[in-house]
Amino acid sequence: MTLLRLLSRTKLYWGLLVILLIGVAFSPVTGSGKNIFLSYGNLTDVLRQVSITGLAAVGMTVVILIAGIDLSVGSVMAFGTVLTATLLTQAGWTSAAGVGVPAAIAVAFVAAFLLVRFVGRGLRRTAGPVGARHRAAADPLRDGWVPGAAGLALAALVALWLVPQVDTKFGVPALLVAVPCAGLMVGAVSGAIIVAGRLQPFIVTLAMMVGMLGLSRLTAGQDSAVLPVYAGTNATEDIELLRSMLWGVLPVPGLFFLAAVAVFAVLLRLTVFGRYVYAIGGNEEAARLSGIPVDRVKIAAYAFSGMLSTLAGILYVAQYRQGKPDAGAGLELDAIAAVVIGGTSLMGGRGALAGTLVGVLIFGLLSNILQLHNINSNLQLVFKGAIIIVTVLLQERNLADLLAPFRTARAARRDPAARSEAPGQQGSSLIHREGTQP
Amino acid sequence: MSTTAAESVGAERPAPAIPALEAVGIGKAFAGVTVLHGVDLAVFPGEIHALMGENGAGKSTLMKILAGIHTDYDGTVAVDGVPRRFAGVRDAEEAGIGIIHQELNLVPGMTVAENIFLGREPLRGGIFVDGPALRAAAARLIRRLGIAIDPDARVASLRVGEQQLVEIAKALSLDTRILIMDEPTSALSPAECTTLFAVVRQLARDGVAVVYISHRMDEVMDLADRVTILRDGRPVATAPIAALTRERIIAHMVGRELAAASHPAGRDAAGPPVLSVRDLSLEVPGRRGGWRRVLDGVGFDLHPGEILGIGGLLGAGRTEILETIFGSARGRRGGTVSIDGTPVAIDGPIAAKRHGLALVTEDRKVTGLLLGASIRDNLALPSLPLLSRLGIRLFRREAALARGTIGRLGVRCTGPQQPAGRLSGGNQQKVVIGKWLATAPRVLLLDEPTRGIDVGAKKEIYDLVFALAGQGIAILLVSSELPELLLLADRILVMCEGRQTGLLSRAEASQEAIMHLATARTPTRSAEIAS
Repeated sequence: MTLLRLLSRTKLYWGLLVILLIGVAFSPVTGSGKNIFLSYGNLTDVLRQVSITGLAAVGMTVVILIAGIDLSVGSVMAFGTVLTATLLTQAGWTSAAGVGVPAAIAVAFVAAFLLVRFVGRGLRRTAGPVGARHRAAADPLRDGWVPGAAGLALAALVALWLVPQVDTKFGVPALLVAVPCAGLMVGAVSGAIIVAGRLQPFIVTLAMMVGMLGLSRLTAGQDSAVLPVYAGTNATEDIELLRSMLWGVLPVPGLFFLAAVAVFAVLLRLTVFGRYVYAIGGNEEAARLSGIPVDRVKIAAYAFSGMLSTLAGILYVAQYRQGKPDAGAGLELDAIAAVVIGGTSLMGGRGALAGTLVGVLIFGLLSNILQLHNINSNLQLVFKGAIIIVTVLLQERNLADLLAPFRTARAARRDPAARSEAPGQQGSSLIHREGTQP
Repeated sequence: MSTTAAESVGAERPAPAIPALEAVGIGKAFAGVTVLHGVDLAVFPGEIHALMGENGAGKSTLMKILAGIHTDYDGTVAVDGVPRRFAGVRDAEEAGIGIIHQELNLVPGMTVAENIFLGREPLRGGIFVDGPALRAAAARLIRRLGIAIDPDARVASLRVGEQQLVEIAKALSLDTRILIMDEPTSALSPAECTTLFAVVRQLARDGVAVVYISHRMDEVMDLADRVTILRDGRPVATAPIAALTRERIIAHMVGRELAAASHPAGRDAAGPPVLSVRDLSLEVPGRRGGWRRVLDGVGFDLHPGEILGIGGLLGAGRTEILETIFGSARGRRGGTVSIDGTPVAIDGPIAAKRHGLALVTEDRKVTGLLLGASIRDNLALPSLPLLSRLGIRLFRREAALARGTIGRLGVRCTGPQQPAGRLSGGNQQKVVIGKWLATAPRVLLLDEPTRGIDVGAKKEIYDLVFALAGQGIAILLVSSELPELLLLADRILVMCEGRQTGLLSRAEASQEAIMHLATARTPTRSAEIAS
């Protein structure tokens, strides 16, 4: 019985294993008898291919966990590609620099401000006993000038670092700061509108998706333009770094993806913020009435989603050597599908990043297998659709439920009298549906 | 009857030989857990038969079997002596069985008449709804019930008690001869209850067999002819109401004699008030624009260790007082709230928590708990910043808190990791109270703390409230149950239509005094009908 429960708990990983086995079994073989699917180059290629969708899916997981949805990730990713391509190839105060540099400065200020205040509060809190916290005296570290000063200092540092680069072309470190900051701002705006207007996230992010497409085109300067990036000729050499193999082992985009999974898994599992995310998704009103800063957490979730989307945009430019305002078409759907395959509930409050990682990998491996067999790309889409339905169906059903008909039949054959009791009792340890109890 | 035959004296009344509804040896298991075991129930025409038992005793399951909702069960059900096995709700309806669920199943945007005949509208020409015929038929039914409800009124505009009566009318429109009512009064004010009881008695006189499920002892003693008591899915006793006392019924339900909770005497609320409220008001957006005042001029002092009860009818603004103080009320708030004599601006739960307030809401499932999350996570939620260090959760502290609270409040569970949604009502309530106690509150706002909780757990909650007051926590308590209010409160503030109509000391307070003040202004419509 416990074995079945273990199988039921880990069925997600079994799905991944099944896909892997299928891939190995049906893989084309090289002349020398090597399995192409299993070759290191192929597997790292899969990781490289999934990392853009994967980054968006990580942000999407956080948003879906608070029972929201972010339809704008594709557009925001495309906005990221446009910013990246422009900053890389054009010197001077282009509109991309006009967006990226102020965004980075603003985010630096807010981040330093919040961090210092937060740390100040944390230090203070652990000092006193639990009950003695009412009406704490004003504390410079907590709400006085110190956080503001720290914010200004960091903002000034960022400005000193970024502004000179505007006159030349942006290097990769500067890109990796400025572009995600712009995405963070975009996401924060979505979140703020959702919170302040008490609007449906679906509508707000849909509007943001349309609006950002337009903004990307305006920033690019031409309608549906492609901004080509050639390392070494019109851009700095080091953009090449973002698509290379790190130490010849791990593709850098994959590294970004895995790092994002790790960072956000820690954030969701081990921090107060993560607990709040699950609480808001589980029951927003109960969370609000428990004195949780619901609004701030929601804004942060959308901000993270925007940030990760633009980060994906940078990787897109490194990979495909172009910035494109409509690069992200359909990305939001791929990301949502990966999250849902990973077992995160669209109702919020249930799920985990491990699931999203598996969902992204299942998707990537499937595409890879179909590509290795040279299957028509349109047929690939049909397969993708089918795999979403099948995995979600498996997710929603318990393994015990799926097996229940067989078990009932078997029990009935063995002992007809115990029919009404026995199968239920066997299943009792497995069925975790709510609401079966009277 | 099966187990304790001593009290199964059978029907003393000159009842017809054939019961309208008879269930013999009903058994039912969900996922291997037996919830009903050999239950017998016989209801005669014209009889009001109460079905009692604690939460989880199997009352609702039994009713669902009788109404054709659960079709997979053991035993037999007979209607008018004819064994039947219902394939579904429709089948049971055709046999004359109607059920009124605890949660109302009405379409708020439609009129009373439309709701009564939903899905069975009289048609003209086979397509169009015959409006006049619909209204006439609805009016006839309503008249039969002897109540004053406009068939053209939208259900959303009716009060809960009136909606309940519409449900009854709907059941009667199906030519129901056996009416099952599942806790019909749980959301009703006393006046609405009186109306409902009159209707139920009228139905019984007309020969309808009524199965009445309720937790409230007073109602059952008042209304029922016979009582069947279930415990843990087994029938414990069936007897005429006259043969039972309140204490016997409780003993049967709980399985042991239960000492009544009593107000600890000689406890003085000393010292300066911890919470002072002056001229509290709340305005919510009205239906046709503008602002509607739902709370006006409420003021009181609350001392450490004092239990201040708030009484009044449903909609009198009791919950609104708590929500306005806590800052969670939507709308325009007015007046001053002072903590320790200093006026404070509480604009939301975060500020309220910082000032040492805690609110246990009326509906623990909707606004109190994360039902899918574990007990530990629920208990730690409001005090997470205190339990963590620099935003990193310290699981050891959370576990210690959970263990401590579970032990101190006597939460019966399989462990701190059990999902809160799988606890019984009483234990859920303890978790909600416990999560606030972890924030070391100075003022506890309790809204209907024993709603939907069975008798045994109620007493535990009462003891807990007294214990907390004994520790110096000031408690503001809203309750619809007058005996509960009289038992718990040191003073009782009575509300009527958003205004404070009295502040009774413990010596002055009585059910009559509270009801008098609660209806001090314009008497409500259903109260008029009832008298």
